[in-house]
Amino acid sequence: MQTDPLRRAIAPTLGSAFLFLLLLGGSLLYTANGDASSNSLVTQMLINAVVVLGLQIYIGNTGVLSFGHIGFGAIAGYTFAICAISPERKLRQIPNAPFGLAEIDLTPLQSGMVALTLTIIVAFVIGLALSRSGARSGAVAAVVITLALLFVVHEVARNWIDLTRGGKTGLSFSPLGNATLQGKVPIYLILVGAIALARLFKETRAGRLAQAAREDDLAARVMGIDPAVQQMIALLLSVAVVSAGSALRVFELGSINPRLFFFDYTLLTLTMLIVGGRNSVAGTLVGVLIITAGSELTRNLSGMDVPGMNWLLRDGLTDIFLGGAMLGFMILRPAGLLGDWEVDHWLYRRLRRAESPPAPSPVTTARSTSVLQAAKVTVHFGGYQALDNASLEATAGEVVGLIGPNGAGKTTLLNVITGLVRSDSGRIELDGTVLTGLSPHGIARSGLARTFQNFRLFSALSVRENIGVVHLMATRFRQSRSLPPVDTLVTQAGLWEHRDRRAAELDYGSARRLELARAAAAGPDFLLLDEPTSGMSDHESINMIDQVRSMAELIGAGVVVIDHDLNFITGICDRVYVLDQGRVIAVGTPAEISVNPAVQAAYLGTTD
Amino acid sequence: MIELIQQIIDGLGRGGIYALLALGIAVIFGVMHLINFAHGELITVSAYTSYWLFASGFNWWFIAPAIIVVAVLTAVIIEFVAFRWVRGAPDFTMLMTSFGVHFLVQALFVMYVSANFRQFPRPGWIFDTWRIGDLSLEVFDLAVIAATLVTLLGTYWLLQRTMFGVSLRAAAEDFDTARLMGIRSNRVIRGAFILSGVLAGVAAIFWLMRSGQAGPTAGLNPMLKGVLAALIGGLGSLSGAVLGGITLGLVEVLLISRLPGGTAGLTDGIVFLLIALLFVFRPQGLITVRRVERV
Repeated sequence: MQTDPLRRAIAPTLGSAFLFLLLLGGSLLYTANGDASSNSLVTQMLINAVVVLGLQIYIGNTGVLSFGHIGFGAIAGYTFAICAISPERKLRQIPNAPFGLAEIDLTPLQSGMVALTLTIIVAFVIGLALSRSGARSGAVAAVVITLALLFVVHEVARNWIDLTRGGKTGLSFSPLGNATLQGKVPIYLILVGAIALARLFKETRAGRLAQAAREDDLAARVMGIDPAVQQMIALLLSVAVVSAGSALRVFELGSINPRLFFFDYTLLTLTMLIVGGRNSVAGTLVGVLIITAGSELTRNLSGMDVPGMNWLLRDGLTDIFLGGAMLGFMILRPAGLLGDWEVDHWLYRRLRRAESPPAPSPVTTARSTSVLQAAKVTVHFGGYQALDNASLEATAGEVVGLIGPNGAGKTTLLNVITGLVRSDSGRIELDGTVLTGLSPHGIARSGLARTFQNFRLFSALSVRENIGVVHLMATRFRQSRSLPPVDTLVTQAGLWEHRDRRAAELDYGSARRLELARAAAAGPDFLLLDEPTSGMSDHESINMIDQVRSMAELIGAGVVVIDHDLNFITGICDRVYVLDQGRVIAVGTPAEISVNPAVQAAYLGTTD
Repeated sequence: MIELIQQIIDGLGRGGIYALLALGIAVIFGVMHLINFAHGELITVSAYTSYWLFASGFNWWFIAPAIIVVAVLTAVIIEFVAFRWVRGAPDFTMLMTSFGVHFLVQALFVMYVSANFRQFPRPGWIFDTWRIGDLSLEVFDLAVIAATLVTLLGTYWLLQRTMFGVSLRAAAEDFDTARLMGIRSNRVIRGAFILSGVLAGVAAIFWLMRSGQAGPTAGLNPMLKGVLAALIGGLGSLSGAVLGGITLGLVEVLLISRLPGGTAGLTDGIVFLLIALLFVFRPQGLITVRRVERV
């Protein structure tokens, strides 16, 4: 399954087409009687769908909560309006417009293009700021930066009277020359484009890497994924779609004022996004539909006079509905109605050929001759010395154990090696290349992959995809290594039957094996394992010995493993390092270590 | 020089209110890791309370303590209705929940009162000034500064010297460990909301004395100021929140007095922009709280 066009392209395209046709058919049916109000309702809904799909591309894939997308919408809307309004009208509304904008006269399509270009430029700058601030799922900094955009754009729109005519009146241009949205063809075209873009982006390399980082930023980084580029791509695409939708919105309304693209619209679009499921394109559209229907219904109800119901049926019911929907879904069903389900998932299951597990491949990988060295590593946390001149050396082809009492500094040493903790002094080298000071993803790309004490899987992604995204990274940065195919790794980890299940649904032992296989997918020279058997029964941890050995053999990597289970350590290790209070107190074969008096003292305490 | 001193006093007056709001937000962030975008709703509810009590013939001496009681009740109700259910949820869910509460409360007031703002009388003395030589000081600013100091000292005493304060600080430091040590999470969280309600209530008294109006969006501005001040202070840090509030107040006053005419309307935008830039270059806030993710 190196590339699976059916899953990645054909089924999603068909699914997108199906969704679009469904919307198109529904719209045509609903407006068949030619009623003007239902016509405008449908038009607005389709335009909102474009904007919300734009939000989905960024928020859904990256998990970064942006409140600023409607700010991009405001920029696009104003740019579109100022370019498209005829010079005669502009002379009346904004005669003093700067940069000679009062004279320019563009068609709606040209205006839309100008709007798109301008917002993309702004989005690029915001994207740089977001990545500088370390944007990741739920990051506060991203919320502040995007809110700032929304506010600044709003204030500029209110105060730059020469350009925008201020907040009271706004700009109006209805009708816009001879151009109209009659027949809604432009809306349908943009909508079908937005659906396909949003759906297919999820299957692209950028989309998949962004999703991995959304699930667990730290785990993605130590697997070599630096999501900055992918998040930028997602942002630019997303802003492009939001801009197109916003220009349509202004076009359709025939006017613009600062309130049109502010908190209310942010609330409306975000609610639409989360109700159906922000990680799903189908879910996004379902959300748009439900919220549109609900808003319309509550708006109609609020004007009705039903005895005994007057306490409920009054103005503001729509806002209650929106706020309530947002709150209710966050409390009861935060992933939305559909979660990350797509129409084409169903389609794919129908269309795919029966799969059989790959035949066990003979070990072809030549053992590498890599050497990993950690020399004299010292780390302080405040006044606490976690590591004191600790050194470790491992060569590919051997399994090196790292044991010691709790707090001895084992995990800290692993964190220093993988770049998660900066050491005060000491250096890390892999085959003579200094890794000290590199970023975690840089270190992963150089050839170290690790697992975690409390495992950190990409929980919403499938078993296969957990391995797949890391494999995707490895095919670019670890070309020198021969990488086993994804399905071979899945089988090797004994997870073939669970290959399409979400990682979050796995039992403990399977999750541990998946994390091991995921680390192996990175094609490392060394696998660094942090307590692979913690929480396992004796039987399971004996199995883990084979599991680790065969996985290391499959990819030809050396192993450094931390564990407390002495049976496991003696069963698997060629050499063992013993750490105590940050210092290496003994090195040797498991047999030598077990009779070393210093080790016994560290573990059991001593009387002298 | 005289002008600068006056501006500083003015800035401290504003900053004091922001500090109280920010502290309430920081207290809740400490125990729940939640940025409470619904904090402003405590001000909204207080505003309507003042309006109704005035309409019923009460004066500020009665209304001021009533505001604190109402703010505390509102905070506890919001915790019970919404935040209790998303404890420990991913950051995304908690952020959206607090925004949901913000919008829902706003909508309730639109529905059951009106979308329009209502006025109520401001106390007569808030425009009085004291003259000391060339210096003319607004009595109101001095009152705010005094009240802020008293409240902060009270809070400090509460946090340092009482059992509740110790549990709150422990929970803010490491919630899971605090629970293992026998601190009851429900109590601590409810306590944190009560404390944030008291702080918001005190802030609301002065905010409303100055604004003299109630409306569904009355809480938006104070909420933003409080959140921004807490962000400047690094969110988790309580002393950081206070410093953040004072900083924000001073920066605003200096900006307003120095911006060329016509652009004064942009003050809020510029403040927001500055804070966004702060986050771009110092994502951990002005006052750093070391928060190392354990792996």
